[in-house]
Parts: sequence; structure tokens; C-alpha cells
Amino acid sequence: MAAIQQSAVLTGKSRPPRPLLSRLVSDYGQEFVIIAAMLVLFVAVGLYNPRFLSTSNLNTIFSGNAYIAVAAIGMAMVIITGHIDVSIGALIGVLATISGTLAVSGYPVWVAWSAPVILGMAVNFIVGWLVAYARIPSIVVTLGMMSILRGGLISITGGTWISGLPKEFMIAQWKPFGLPFPIIAMVVLTVLAAWWMRNFPFGRSLYAVGGNPEAARATGLSAERRVLAVFVIHGAFAGIATILFATQLQVIQSTVPPNLELTVITAAVIGGVSILGGSGTVIGSTLAAILFATIGSALIFVNVSAYWLRAVIGGLILITVLADMIRRRPAR
Amino acid sequence: MSLHNISWRNLLRHETILAIVAVILLILLAFQSSQFFTGANLLNQGRLMTEVGLVAIIMTFVIITGGIDLSVGSILGLTAILTGVFWQNLGLPLVLAACLAIAVGTFCGFVNGFVITRFGVPPLIATLATLALYRGLAEGISQARSVRGYPEWFYVLGQGSMLGVPTQLWILIALAILASILLAATRIGRSIYAIGANEVAAFFSGLPVNRTKIAVYTASGFAAALAGVIFVSRVSTTRSDMGTGLELDAITAVVLGGTSIYGGRGSVIGTLIGLVVIQSLKNGLSLAGVKAEGTAVLIGLMLIGAILMTTVLNKRRA
Amino acid sequence: MSDPEEKDLRRPYVRLAGISKSFGPVKVLKDISFDVRPGEIHALLGENGAGKSTMIKILSGLYQPDGGVMEIDGQPAKFASAKDANSAGIATVYQELLLFPELTVAENIFLGHYPRKGLGRIDWAEARAKARDLLDSLDCHDLDVDTRIATLSVAQRQRVEIAKALSHKARILIMDEPTASLTEKDVARLMDVVRNLKSRGVGIIYVSHRMAEIFALADRVSVLRDGMMIDTRAIGDADEALLVSMMVGRSIEQLFPKGEAEIGEAVLEVSKLNHGRLVRDISFSLKRGEVLGIAGLVGSGRTELALTLFGITPATSGEIRVKGKPVTIKTPRQARDLGLAYVPEDRGLQGLVKSMTINENLSMASLDRIAPGLFLNFAEEARRAVEAVKRLGVRARAGIHQPVGELSGGNQQKVVIAKWLATNPDILILDEPTRGIDVGAKAEIHAMMSELAAKGLAIIMISSELPEVIGMSDRILVMNNGQVTAVIDRANATPETVGAAMTAQTASKEAA
Repeated sequence: MAAIQQSAVLTGKSRPPRPLLSRLVSDYGQEFVIIAAMLVLFVAVGLYNPRFLSTSNLNTIFSGNAYIAVAAIGMAMVIITGHIDVSIGALIGVLATISGTLAVSGYPVWVAWSAPVILGMAVNFIVGWLVAYARIPSIVVTLGMMSILRGGLISITGGTWISGLPKEFMIAQWKPFGLPFPIIAMVVLTVLAAWWMRNFPFGRSLYAVGGNPEAARATGLSAERRVLAVFVIHGAFAGIATILFATQLQVIQSTVPPNLELTVITAAVIGGVSILGGSGTVIGSTLAAILFATIGSALIFVNVSAYWLRAVIGGLILITVLADMIRRRPAR
Repeated sequence: MSLHNISWRNLLRHETILAIVAVILLILLAFQSSQFFTGANLLNQGRLMTEVGLVAIIMTFVIITGGIDLSVGSILGLTAILTGVFWQNLGLPLVLAACLAIAVGTFCGFVNGFVITRFGVPPLIATLATLALYRGLAEGISQARSVRGYPEWFYVLGQGSMLGVPTQLWILIALAILASILLAATRIGRSIYAIGANEVAAFFSGLPVNRTKIAVYTASGFAAALAGVIFVSRVSTTRSDMGTGLELDAITAVVLGGTSIYGGRGSVIGTLIGLVVIQSLKNGLSLAGVKAEGTAVLIGLMLIGAILMTTVLNKRRA
Repeated sequence: MSDPEEKDLRRPYVRLAGISKSFGPVKVLKDISFDVRPGEIHALLGENGAGKSTMIKILSGLYQPDGGVMEIDGQPAKFASAKDANSAGIATVYQELLLFPELTVAENIFLGHYPRKGLGRIDWAEARAKARDLLDSLDCHDLDVDTRIATLSVAQRQRVEIAKALSHKARILIMDEPTASLTEKDVARLMDVVRNLKSRGVGIIYVSHRMAEIFALADRVSVLRDGMMIDTRAIGDADEALLVSMMVGRSIEQLFPKGEAEIGEAVLEVSKLNHGRLVRDISFSLKRGEVLGIAGLVGSGRTELALTLFGITPATSGEIRVKGKPVTIKTPRQARDLGLAYVPEDRGLQGLVKSMTINENLSMASLDRIAPGLFLNFAEEARRAVEAVKRLGVRARAGIHQPVGELSGGNQQKVVIAKWLATNPDILILDEPTRGIDVGAKAEIHAMMSELAAKGLAIIMISSELPEVIGMSDRILVMNNGQVTAVIDRANATPETVGAAMTAQTASKEAA
């Protein structure tokens, strides 16, 4: 080691960059772990019950849960800037109801599709403003917003189901190029988001704002504008996730999907986004969302009651966070 | 806080405003519905307010230390389930079953405190994780089955009265008095304020920071567990989704009552007034025909509004 | 060189004239005149609290002056923010480095001004290459631009900061106590970097306490004291004694009335104490009535030693004996119960709860003595507070119920000291006790220390002000790089002997 350093000093040139593979492993370690865990699950459960690996089940896992991955993209960005949003479940519930209602009321399909995106951005603009400019902790704002949305949804709709959705509306059931649309959407959006966050200054500044707010301010980065923008972007992703969610089944339940906010947050956290802010990627969160779907399905196939799913999620968050804290312990 | 503390003046300003709002509110509600200001109704509201009240009083302590506990609702649910399970499935005598369940709930609170102090996990994340874990355990253990058929005498706790006042209200009042005294006049109370205001200085001064925090979170678990048993007694049944949203109600009452979400300031009296305001609004809305879910919207607005108001007030003073 | 070119080189790039700044009623800077020429290394000296940090913040755009004029390259300039200063070519490397631990070296250098390619994308290849070039130009060839900052040492991070400044095309680089946390070897490397920058025409404002470096590097030196610029001289026209007397303003004997106290038996014995990099094999003893000064450069391990003694960062090996008995100290509470007291370096963060009253702060370390039972004894607490305020001369408008955040620095420090005196300690550790305090309060605290020593208290005083250490101590423990390099008696204590020991090496050296 010392010899290499010595020679570098003597020749006056810097060391060549580390080989690509070693860089990939250290930057994307968490993602590889998740893929490995998924493979293990597939193999183990598949051996136990081969129907686990059937096309229809795989379709359910990947296609049916793609909306969670999409929502997790926005959530990952929010967490990277050092905030959190527990209202995402309620928001998707509300947006889905609105979208479905528009569809069955005869509005053009594109209206029913764009409404959730626009409204998602509008709602989160308010949330983002309260967090960024009024400086109210995000947990409090989103707790309150969750209650407002959930209460509003149930009191207005009474929990009725929306049925009779027009066929043109059901975008989640399309199969362009033979692949289910949700999977395509999930992959494309994840890749785009990851690419944007890697290669554009705005995306990079999110890591700065979340990683060291004082240094960010000293560098002249306005945290307020970025936090507000992140919440709005998050709202857009929530809207897109809603479209995928609402068009899956023939009916839309006017309730808030249970566990959704927890699943989305956990997907981001386990995917490598540190809950302390400043690090992680959206690729990880997408992979983790799929991992959850896999776990959920696996539980059913090994005859473990699905009622244990939430306990599993809670345990996973705890373990991941503990590991993160231990890793970050300052070296003395 | 000593009686001469200047920030006491600021708090009194917040509390006074709140108390005036509460009084105005009560008057308005009395006019709106003849049913509101009857003895029976008021006592009944006191009864309904107890579960949130117990949790909110201890939540005041938690928030003053600069922390938060999102898992209280799940602890309530878990305790409720365990009461049913210990009694019905394991055949334990009901009193023992309830005590055991409360012990488990208290332990859940202890685990929160442990994770927060020993591992340095931020309270928000730790209790978000345990919110999922404890609720998950409740759902898994109960398999969504509910337990009914408790003996008659058990309902005295939740549905009966002593000396004309609902049983659980006595418990709430007792806890409120105990908590106020603890916070204002004991060493641990002073430590709680110091930890919230400046944890580093408190530690450097030799105050038992970790011990105090663990105690506070354990107490929070206990309050939620106790509330769970009372809840079961009140509604005569046990279900795994009990207590969902409890944390929101409790935090709103605390924040409304003048406790700063950042820690270092707050009082039990303020939380009590906040509870009264929230419960009165709920009651008023329900008497006016609004469904329970509608009040959830109101609570959410009040939470955000309360903090917004304190932020604006602070900015104007600065 | 022809005349006009020479004149150009001698024209200052940045000039301050008549600059003043107040915070509330306190005037922190008065009528400051100062300038820096391209390619000049201009040292800035001054005690803590003299106004250096305020002056730097005005130059780097974080503060705006209340009066006076700032000129950049001959033109009047006003900085509304750090960005303005950056654009004008002024970059600052602070002591607390402003880097992002989870991002790479290259990214930290170019954050906010990345090289771009098509569609506005960041050109990472270009950024990496340029980062490497910048580091190479500073003769730093051993840094991989793709590593995360979190894995780098302090010295390496500092070089990244300097490279960052260069990436902004800095014409003036302000370096605030740059060698504070560096090892000997790193200091030498840094000095090479500084000379490198000088040869490229970058003007450097070198803020430091360290005389050796100042005399090795600087072209001119300016001394600040109590918010005023005392003098600016060419380095050849100054010597250390002169600079110290300009900084301090009066002779050493006048300032530090160390009385005579009877030195008793050993009350604290430390043997081969270890914790981490900065407390290594420390051994010493402390006697009753003695004032043991601990001297050393910033980052030599003095505060770390105090934190280890006091249980904040407990020792990993070694022995501590209090009054002859071996003890383990794992928490501040244990330390306190054993008779130790620690008045910390950062009184705002570590010493006081600013929102609480004088009363509540005074009792914080002795609550269980005021109220052994369940309840607090408010009457007793107040009585003790009034007594302490009188005894130490704490000046507070609203008496013992005033929030300490509203007091002046000197009075705040008195409250912290009083808080610990209330625990009846045998051993009092003072960490920079007179930092940021006006001269009058300083003298009062020194007098208090003498009085306490005479009463039999054993005192450890950590201080960065050589005159204070030399004036107040019976013995001086000098530390460097986590180890004790010398123990000097009062009779032999001079700025030369102490100063030499502060930079002396012991057996093992650390590589960068």
C-alpha cells in the first residue's frame, strides 16, 4: 500500500480510478443484497410450492405491486432530503376515488388519468410549503394531512365501492409488447428517476440538503425551494402510482389501502435510503418494494397467515435502522 | 418549571388563549344543542376522553424531552388483544390476564426507550417501526378474530360509575394530578425539561439522561396499555384494530395545549385543556349529525393549525 | 519588472477600511483596516473573542458590516451572501469543514457548479478529471476522487476543501486555524500547499495561533485585540514577544494574580490512560491546592483528556485513582459523585441550558443534594442561588429567575462555575475558562481560581492562551498528538519552553 502511494507521489500523477466492478459493489451494495434475498426467497419457496413460480403468481407479485415501487420513488426522494411522509396511503386512496369517479361519470379517460397526478402535486404543494417555509416538522404535517384525507374520504364517500369502470380506463391491464404495463411503468420511471438524480444538479442537491443542511446553506443552495419541489414531485409520483393502483381491479374501494404508507416508507429505507437523509438510491427502493411483495406472497404460499405481514415489515424496518445506526457509529 | 420562570409567562399566554377558546367553544356548543350541557352528556364525554387522555398526559412528557411516540395506538391494540388471549385462550383469571397484558404493553414501551437510548435511533423512526411491529403482532396473534363475552363486573371499569362519575374518569384525574406534580416539582420532572431543552448540557451536568428517557417511554407504554384495558371494558369486545389513530389524537392534544414539538416546554394542564377542546368539538359535531370520520378531518386541521399558530406567535416575538 | 507591473502586484486584491460591526449593544469590530495582496500570505492573530471570526465572516459574505468600505480589486463591493463572496474570488476553509460525508471527493469539489454536457447533464468524467487535476496541482496525488468523504482523515478533507476553493477560481483563500487538528507531517504538507498557492498568485489570510507556522509562512502579520486592529507589520519587523504583547495588551504579571497556596497530597493520579487517538498513555498526578495547566495546540488532546477523566468518553484502558483509591469513571454522574467537576469548553452547548433560569442552571448538577427526597425544595434552591450569585458576582437584571441565555459571556461562565462549585468538588477541571470573556470578568475568574486553590481545591486548567497558562499554573502539562510531551514547573515556564513542548514529537508518529 505504502509502496503504491510512494510511487504515485514520485511520478506526480494520481492513481487510476478503481475498477468498475469494485466501485459498483461498494456503491450499490445494498441493492445487491436485496436481489440476493429475492433470489433466495424464489428458490426456497419455489421448491416448497412450485405454484409460487407460476406466471400468474409472478404477474401478481410484480405487476400488482408495481404501484408501490412507483410511490416509493417519490418517498425515497423525500427521505433523502431528510423528511418523511406518512400520508401517502391516504393520498392514494383519495386520488383513486377521484380518478375512478371521474371515469365512471363519463369524463374522457385522459382526464381521469391526469387528475390524480395534478391533484397529488397540489396537495403535496401545501404539505411541502408547510414543511419548507413554515418549518413545521414533516411528521406532524403529514400526520395531520393523513387524518384530513382519510377522514374526508370516508365521510364523503361512506366507503362505497366504485364499479363499472370503463375499459379504456384500465391502463394497468394493458400489455404493450407483451409485458404488463405496470411493470414497464415501474422500470422506466425508476430508471429515469435514478438517472435524473445521478446526473442533474437538482437531484444531487437533494443529497446535499439532506446530508448536511448547514453546509448546503453555506454553498448557497436554498433548502426551502428544494424541499418544496421534492414534495411536489413526490405528489406526482403518488398520482402515477394511483393510476396503476386504481386500474388494476374491476372495482375501486373507497378506503385507504391498509399498511400502504408503512410499506412505501419501508421500501425506501430497506432499499438503502438512510432515514437520516443524505444517501441512498431509488433503484434500491424499487427493488425493496418488490421484495416485500415477494415476502407477502411467500407467506401465503407457505401457509403462514397474511396477518403476520405487518409484523414482518415492522421487524424489517427495525433491523435495517439498527444496522444503519451501528454502521454510522462515529469511529473513535 | 419553577413558578417564577419567565417562560411560564409565555406558556400562560398560550394556555390562557386556549382556555378562553375552550370556554367560548363550550358556550357555543351549549347553544347549538340542548343536549350538550347536560350533566349526563358531560360525564359521558369525560368517559370517552379517558383513553386518549391517559396517553396524551404521558405523551406530554415524551414530547417535552424532544421525542415522540407513534406506537401508542399499536400498544393499545396489542394489550387489548392480549387481554382477550390470556383470558380466553390461556384460561387465566381476568384480572391476572389484564395485568399481564398491561405488563407486556409496558414492556413494549421499554423496548422503545431501549432502542432510542442504546442504539441512538431517532424516536420518530424507532416508534414508527414499533408501530408496525406491535400492530402486526396484534393482528398476527388475533388472526382478526375478536373476543367477546367478558364477565359483567369487568364492565364497571369502562362503563360503570363511582360516586356518579365514570370509573375511568377517576383514573384519568388521578394520573393528571400525579403527572402535574411530577413534572413541576420533582427531580425527574426538572430532568425532563432539561433533556428537551439541551440534552448535551443535561448529560454534562450529570443528569441521568438515558435512564430518564427509558422511564418516559416505558410510562408511555404503560399509559397506552392501561388505556387498552379500559377500552376493552368500555366496548365489551376486543379487536386487533383498536387504537388506530390514537397517536394522532394524543399528539394533537399535547401540541394544542402549548407543548413545543421541539421539546423543553409544556405542561399537563395545557394538554388537559387541549383534550377538552378536542372532545367538545367531537361531541358538538356528532350532535350536529356529522359522522365520526368527519371529526378526523378536524383533528388533522387542528394539529397543523396549532403548530402554525405557535410558530407565528414565536416569530412575532423574536 | 517594470514599474506598472510592480504596482499591480502590490495593489491589494481585497481591502477593508473603517469596517465596524455590532451585535446588539456589543461592538465586535471597530474601525478595521486590513488588506491582502495577490500572492501574499497575511497572518491574522488575536485572542479568542478579539473579533477574528466576525472579520472572516464579513470577508466571506456571511455577515454585512455596519459601517466602512470593502474593496475588491480596487472597486467597492458589497456581499449579500456567501455566493457573492465566492463570485468575487474569496473562498474560506473553515475549521468545521463544510463537506458532505456521503458524497465523493469529486462531487464535493464541484457541488453547485458542475461541468455540464448535453441536455444539462452533469459531466462526471470531466468533473472527475478536473478534480484530479486540482488535487495534483496541490501535490496531493494519493486521493482517489471517487471515495466518500466519510472515509477520509481530517487532513485529507482539508485538502478537498482547498481544492474546492480553487475550483471556484479563488483569488483569496481564508484559512481559519487550518492546522488545528493536524499531525506534524500533515502540517508540513499543508505548508507546502500554502506555498504552492502563493506561487500561483493566490492571496492567503492565515488565521492561526501557531507562531512557528506564522513565522515560517507569513509575509505580513496583523493583530486584532478587542475588536480593533492594533497593527500590521511585515513579518521581518516582528518577533514573538512583540506579537504576544500586542495580542494581550499588558504584561503577564499584571493579568494573572496567582496567589500562593499550600500544595497538599495527591488527590488525582492518572496512569497510562487511553481513549482513541488523542488520549494515549497519559500519566500525571494532581495535588490539593495546585493549579495544573494543560497546554497544547488545538487538537492535541487536551479536551479529549478532560472528557475521558469526566466520563463523557470513558477510558478504554489505564487507571485512575481518586484520593488514593482506584476508580472507574463511565458517566459524568459517576465522576461527579467521586468529586470531579468539569466546566466545559463550549458553555452554550455543553455548560448551560440557555432557556432555563439562573436558578435552574445553578442547581442542575446538585439536584439530588438539594432534594434528597421525592420533591424539589424550591426555597432551598433559591437560597443557594442567591448566595452563589452574590459570591461570584453574577450580574443579572432580573435576578436569579433570568434566563441564562440573556446574560453576557462572563456572567454565563460564572454560572457554570458556580453550578459545579455547588457539588463541593475536590477536583475542578476548567476547559478554556476565560474564552470569549471581557477582561474584567477574566480577572475575576482568575482571582476565584486562586482563592479556590488556597482553600484546598485541586484545579486543572486547559487553555490555549499561553500567557494565561504560564501565569496561572503551578505546573504545566504539555500535550501534543494525544500524548504528554513535557511537565514544566512554574519556575521554568516560558513561552519558549512551553511552545517548544507543544510541537515536540514523542516516540510514535502518525501517518497522514
